[in-house]
Formats: sequence, structure tokens, C-alpha cells
Amino acid sequence: MLSHIVFLGLFYSVLAVVSATVGLSLFRAVQDFRARRTEAICWQATFPDLPARGRVCRHELTGEFRHRTCDKAFDCRECQTHAALAARHPPGPGEPDIFGLNFPLDRFYHRGHAWAHPEPDGTVTVGLDALGARLVADPEATELPAVGAHIQTNGAAWHVRKRGADVRVLSPLDGEVVATGGSQHGWYLKVQPDGGRFDARHLLRGAEIRPWIARETERLQSALDPTSQALTMADGGVLMDDLATGHPEADWDAVCSEMFLQP
Amino acid sequence: MPDVDTQRMPRGVRRSSPRQFLLWILPWCALLAFGLYGAGLCLVKGLNQTNMDNRFAFGLWIFLDLTVIALGAGAFFTGFLLYIFKKNELKAVINSAVVIGFICYSGAVAALLVDVGQPLRFWFTFWHPNVHSMLTEVTFCISCYLTVLFIEYIPILLKNRKMRQVPSFLVFEFELHKLMPVLAGVGTFLSFFHQGSLGGLYGVLRARPFAFREGFAIWPSTFFLFILSAAAAGPAFILLTTWLVSKISRKPLVRPEVLPLLGRISGILLLAYILLKAIDTLVWINSTSPARGFAAHQFYAWKPFGAWILFVEIVAFGLLPALILLRRRLRQSTPWLVSAAGLVCLGIATNRFVLTIQTLALPTLPFDRFLTYLPSWQETATFLAVAAYGVLVYSLSFRYLTLFPQEKDLSC
Amino acid sequence: MNTTSSRPGTKPARYGMAVDLDRCTGCGACMIACAVENNVAPAGPDATPRTGITWMRVYQISNGAPFPDSRAAFVPILCQQCGKDTPCAAVCPQEAVEVDPATGIVDQMPQRCLGCRYCMTACPYHARYFNWWDPRWPPGMEKTLNPDVAPRMRGVVEKCNFCHGRLHAARDRAAAAGRRELLPGEYVPACVEACPAGAMVFGDLDDAASEVARLARDGHSFRILERLGTEPKIYYRTARPWVRQAATQQRKETANA
Repeated sequence: MLSHIVFLGLFYSVLAVVSATVGLSLFRAVQDFRARRTEAICWQATFPDLPARGRVCRHELTGEFRHRTCDKAFDCRECQTHAALAARHPPGPGEPDIFGLNFPLDRFYHRGHAWAHPEPDGTVTVGLDALGARLVADPEATELPAVGAHIQTNGAAWHVRKRGADVRVLSPLDGEVVATGGSQHGWYLKVQPDGGRFDARHLLRGAEIRPWIARETERLQSALDPTSQALTMADGGVLMDDLATGHPEADWDAVCSEMFLQP
Repeated sequence: MPDVDTQRMPRGVRRSSPRQFLLWILPWCALLAFGLYGAGLCLVKGLNQTNMDNRFAFGLWIFLDLTVIALGAGAFFTGFLLYIFKKNELKAVINSAVVIGFICYSGAVAALLVDVGQPLRFWFTFWHPNVHSMLTEVTFCISCYLTVLFIEYIPILLKNRKMRQVPSFLVFEFELHKLMPVLAGVGTFLSFFHQGSLGGLYGVLRARPFAFREGFAIWPSTFFLFILSAAAAGPAFILLTTWLVSKISRKPLVRPEVLPLLGRISGILLLAYILLKAIDTLVWINSTSPARGFAAHQFYAWKPFGAWILFVEIVAFGLLPALILLRRRLRQSTPWLVSAAGLVCLGIATNRFVLTIQTLALPTLPFDRFLTYLPSWQETATFLAVAAYGVLVYSLSFRYLTLFPQEKDLSC
Repeated sequence: MNTTSSRPGTKPARYGMAVDLDRCTGCGACMIACAVENNVAPAGPDATPRTGITWMRVYQISNGAPFPDSRAAFVPILCQQCGKDTPCAAVCPQEAVEVDPATGIVDQMPQRCLGCRYCMTACPYHARYFNWWDPRWPPGMEKTLNPDVAPRMRGVVEKCNFCHGRLHAARDRAAAAGRRELLPGEYVPACVEACPAGAMVFGDLDDAASEVARLARDGHSFRILERLGTEPKIYYRTARPWVRQAATQQRKETANA
């Protein structure tokens, strides 16, 4: 009788634990939906699927670390290491011309190639940086969020389609969309940040841009031609305005997913 | 221009064209169809379609079931090492290991349903469990564990490129992944017991002094030896399959340090197993078997299973690959590493063979004779169906899911 | 091991058998009687000695000597009704094997059997048989079916149960006569009844006065595979040393094709 109880007890306990695990996951998933954490979680769930070269910490780019992979899904606002380093060595001013591309100094740049510029009226203008624009120049379609829609940091800001590549551009901030533009305007969204404050700690600025773009062009080079061993950029060469047209044989979906951090 | 098929593949990796893929899976589909026909005959006409009989009540199917379950142990053991021991290098192969485990266990269960005389009565074991029987334990544990493996397979499916576009799938996957260590722990617990009980099946047979072993409490030594050998075989099989898939797909799938790590884990466990197995065999030769009235060497007097089979199992397929896998220089050489892994898997298969086929071949009654058995084509076909099913599931998983997360890093 | 409760108000019996190997002629009448009594279907055209069902099976042993000194003997093997650590009962996953405490008989329940055949690998006496085919009686032979015994379907294991149908019939007769206890000889399995040489004796081993208990204590009696410790209840008797040796010790033989 005792062995019966022990055996069946163990069996039912195991079943209970397994059911509880699945049940709890479902419950938490529903809670996440209700709390509108979906976008943030989708990003956190897929970030580890990016290749290691796409998850390099900003402080490795600037040379503060020899080798460091981001473990906070590029949300430097959560990162103690970043807080300590930013306090001790804030990045210097930098320069606006990076390898022939224009990166205005008054903007903050997201690792997914969106830029954010705080306006005097408290809103934030969001656009696509010079490298991003060349990747999806003259797109087949652009899908902007409706006015009043809410976007989340590292969630999807807007979608672009270029030569079969479905690109979602990552949002640099949390906020409500108050106006939409387009490539012809030079900006894509005007956003009212949540809580009236624009937190830019996770965005790159100033002297961080040059080493970042240097690394990005290396990644772009290997994405365009995976078989090549070459890692150098020709001196004095400037990226074409429409990279897709210049590289007709490349898998544009693979290139854009690499550069826009879409695993 | 990505087409419908490419849109379902992981990004950033190359896969064969749809036509090439079709050419690959068609022969396996044909094999599956043929095998299902063989299995169907057994289900419809009865088990007289096999060459099993009242003396060889267990045959090819049981032998292969035990072998694939031991080889599929890589799923639980890799999960244990990764989620509980935090050996993060194994992230490179955990998805593949889970799929292989799922294939091995679901295939074994399917073969078992054909093997029993009344498959529709499978639930009787759950309704009238005999808690003293090892087979009851096996039934319960394997059912639970197959469920766990299925649950572990779901996140891999949900991360498919098309599936992950549905936000609710991704959120559920995220929450489930947070609790993965719990599932890994449950999987380890269940695997410990059913791998052991599969060994216990034979160790408790007082009628078969060849297989009977003393042990600890109700558990014969074969219980513990099976767990250890499964833990040794699992990583070796993952090593072998990873290498094979890499060869067939002609791409590097894991960083160069991953396979030698699997080899080292397998080697250490295999050495421990061989030592314990040697001790157990000596105890059996000198104590257990004589106590039941049989001198151990009597069993090896029956051709063709002479003492050479003991040597092959313990030395050629046991000690030898263990020593190879424990030498770093040899682990760095792929031919040595893969050959040793292959020998390990063969050794585990030999061990399962000895306990099923050889045990039943040996006579028990004093005036009885040694018996031979060769499987019928229907039996072989059924198991080929399982193998084909495995290849198909794995091929589809490899094409459309991320089984090797490091592949992207290695593709340029 | 699942066990039913003893019949209240009766003394539990421990039914066993004594088989005299010096009287057994190997005629096989016991095998036929058993099959007829228990509705064992005739073997189909594809059946072999290893797939046929023979709850009672007579083996032939020899002393291995060349002519003119060669001698043969016959050993009827049936379920030995193991009394201790009954191997088949211990391993059945569905508890389809029951050791009846009222009679000591090891009962097989084919209606619960899954057909996993684990019990068959566990039985040292190979006394368990699997239904590899659906049972079929040629037209006309269905008239030989015993209405007191349920036939079994394909895919389940069956074995000797000391003719349980006869036990129930004997109990019914005793109850009709107002008795709770069975008289000696009132319940006899078919094989015992059929043996023309009178080689088999059946009865309650715990009844010190019964003939089977007396024969079991006899110096000529032995049990097969006694050293496995399963306490079988079938005692074999012989005065010939070579028969005893052949039945209890293994000899080396080459592989059987």
C-alpha cells in the first residue's frame, strides 16, 4: 500500500509540476498582454537569436572593453556597467561626417539605425539614419503607425519593404505618435515621450558614432558578400545612395535583417 | 527574392533549394510508407507477422527501442548540464538534442504500440498499475517524459520565422523559456528513473540468471548501469548526429570547441560506466550467478555468443572509445572524435542487445536448447519506418527551425 | 502483487501436483485433455512448435548415451504455480496476474492483459503462451468448445490455471451438497484425469494426509529449477538418477537451428 502511495504520489506530483509550468507560462503570457509588455518581450525573446557580432556592447565599440556582448538586449537604461562607465567617461563630441555619411551631432542614434532628436516643444522627432536610409532607399512600401498609436523602446516603430525584405525599424523611445512624415520629409515620426521625459541613455551619441559605424560597415560588407574574407573599406569610398540597386545578387532580406537587428 | 518556402526558414542561413530538399525527403517518405505497411500488417493480421515466438517474446523491436531510448538520452542530459549545471557551451546543440530526443521517444512509443498484442489497452497500466513492476515504472515515466519533450519542442517551433511573427506565440515562448530549468529538472528526474527501469527490466528476472543482478534495495545493478551508460551515450550520439548533419548540409553548425566538449563529457561518463560494469560483471561471475546454480562461463558456451561478445561490449566498444575521448589531442582530431563517438553508440547497442536477444536465446530449463531468432521483414520494416520518421522530422526541423544557433555566426 | 481475499470460513489450500516421471509414457493425453478442456484453438497452418499454445507440454529428455544404452524419459511441463516471488505476477504492469491466496493458483486474466509479454520473459519454465493469431476453430469443431471456459483473443497471454472451470464446478457441487470444503478428489484438473498411466497426482500440499503432500516429501521428489527460489508447486518424482540429473542440471549443447 505504501509503495502504491509513493509511486502514484510521485507520478501525480510530476504531472502537477509539468502542468503548473505550462499553466504558469500561459498565465504570465496573458498578464504580459494585459500590461502591454508584448513589444518589449518580443524584443527580449528574439535578441539572443541575433548573431554574436550583432550583439556587441557599445563599450566594446569604444574600446573600453576588448570583448563584451550585450546581455541587456541593448537596453542600457537597465545596465549597471553602462551607468558606471557613462558617469566616469561620458563620450566626447565626435564629428558629423563619418566615412562620407552624415550623422548630425545633435541627434541620438539607436543601434537599429533610427535617430531621435528632442524638440523644444517636448516632442521627439524620429528618423532613419544615413546608413539605414541607404539600405532601404526608394522602398516599395512604407507603413507608418497611425497618429495616436503607442510605440515602445526596441519595439517596432514603422515598417518598410524593399526588394522583398520586410524591415521593421526599431523605436528609440516609448511614446505616443503625434505626427507622421516620410522619407521625403527627412523624418518619419514625431512622438510625445511617455511621462514627458525623453530617456536617451540607451542611445549612442557623439564620439561613439564613428567606431559604431566602422563596425556596421564591416558587418554590412560581410552581409553583402558572405564568402569574402575582406574586412577593409576602400579609402575615400562612399556608400552608394541605393545599396540594393548596387548589389543585385545579394539576399536583401538577409542583409536588412542583419543590419536592422531582425533575427 | 524570398519565396513562400524561404520565408519560413530561419534568416541568415542557407538551405538547399526546394527541389533538392524534395529529392532528399522523397526516398525517406517511400521508406516510411513501406514501413507503415509492415507495421499495418502487424496491427491488422496480428503479431504472427513477426518472427517472435513464445521463447523470443521480445525481439528486434524491444532491442531497438532500448537502444534509441538510450541514444535519445542526450536530450535530458544536455538539458541537465545546460540549465542546471550552467554549461553554456551546450546552447549550441540543445535544440538539436531536444528534437532528437523527441524523435527517439515518440518513435519508440509508436514501435511499442505495434509490439503489444492489444495496443488499445495501453491505458490499463495507468488504471491498474503494478507498482512493483519495472515495466509499469517505464510506462509512466516514458509517457511523462514524452510530454515534457513535446513541451520543450514547442518553443523551438514557436521561434520559427513565420510563427514568431505572432506576438502571442513569442510572449508565451518567452515565459516558458524562463521556466525551462524546471522542465530540465523534471526531465532529468524522469530520465533517471526510466533509463534505470529499462535496465531493471532484465536485472530483476530471477528466471534468467544470465541477466539477473543483485543491487540496492529493489533496484538491481543494471538499473544504475543503464542510467550511466545512457548518460554516456547521449552526448556521443549528439556529437555523431551534429557531425553527420554538418557533413550532409555542408556547413559548419557549431563552434570547433563544442564537439570535443561533448566527446569529453561522454568519455568521462563512459569510463565511470566501464569501471562499474567491469566490477558488476566480476561480481556476477563470482557471486550472483553461482548462487543461482549457474557458472557464468556456461552461458558463453553457446555459439555464436561466446565470451568474445563480453570483450566487444566492455573493451572494444567501451574502454577503447573512453580512452580515445579522454585524450585532448585525439579529441581535436575529427576522425578520431567521430569514430570514438560511433563506437560508444555501438557499445550501448551491444549492451542492450546482450540483455534482450542474448538473454532470451539462452536456455533456462535444463533440457532446453539454445534458440535463434531473426526478425521478419515486417519487423524490420516497422523499425525502418521509425528511422524514416526520425529523418523526416529532423530534416523538416533543420530546414525551418533554428536547431543550431551558432550556424548564423559561422556562416560568414 | 494483487491478491484477492481468502474465501471466508474455509481453510486456504495450496494446490500442487506430483508427476511420476517413471510412469509417464509420453503419450500426450494430458496435452490433448488440457487443450480440449480449456478451449485452446487448434494450431493454424503457420504455427510452429514455438508459436503454438500448449499449456501442458511434454518434453523428451535422454541420457545422451549411444545405442544400445540410450534411454529416454518424458517430462510434462505446465505452469509450476510458483509460490514465492512469483516471477510473472511481479512483473506484469497491469496486475493481470493474481496469486489466489485461497488456492495458491497463479491466475492469468486475459481480459486485462496488454500483450506486452514481459511475463513470458520472466517465466523460467516457459509456461506462458501468447496468442499470435486469432483463435479459429475449423467448421464443426466449435462443437468441442467447453462452455465453462472463456476463449482468449489474439494478442494476450494465457497459461495453465489448474483448470479453474473445474474448480468452480467442484465448489458449486459442494455448495449444492451443503459443504464449504471440497473433498479430496472432488476437484481434479483435466490432465490429471486423462493420464492413462496414473502418473499425475493432484491435491492440497498443505493437507498432510493427502497423497500429493506425502509424495512431495518423498526422497525421490524434486522440483525443476528449485535453486531459483520461486517455490514451484509441481513435484517430479523418479528413481532413476540420470533422469533426475537431466531434469535438474544443464548440459552443453550446440545451437539449435
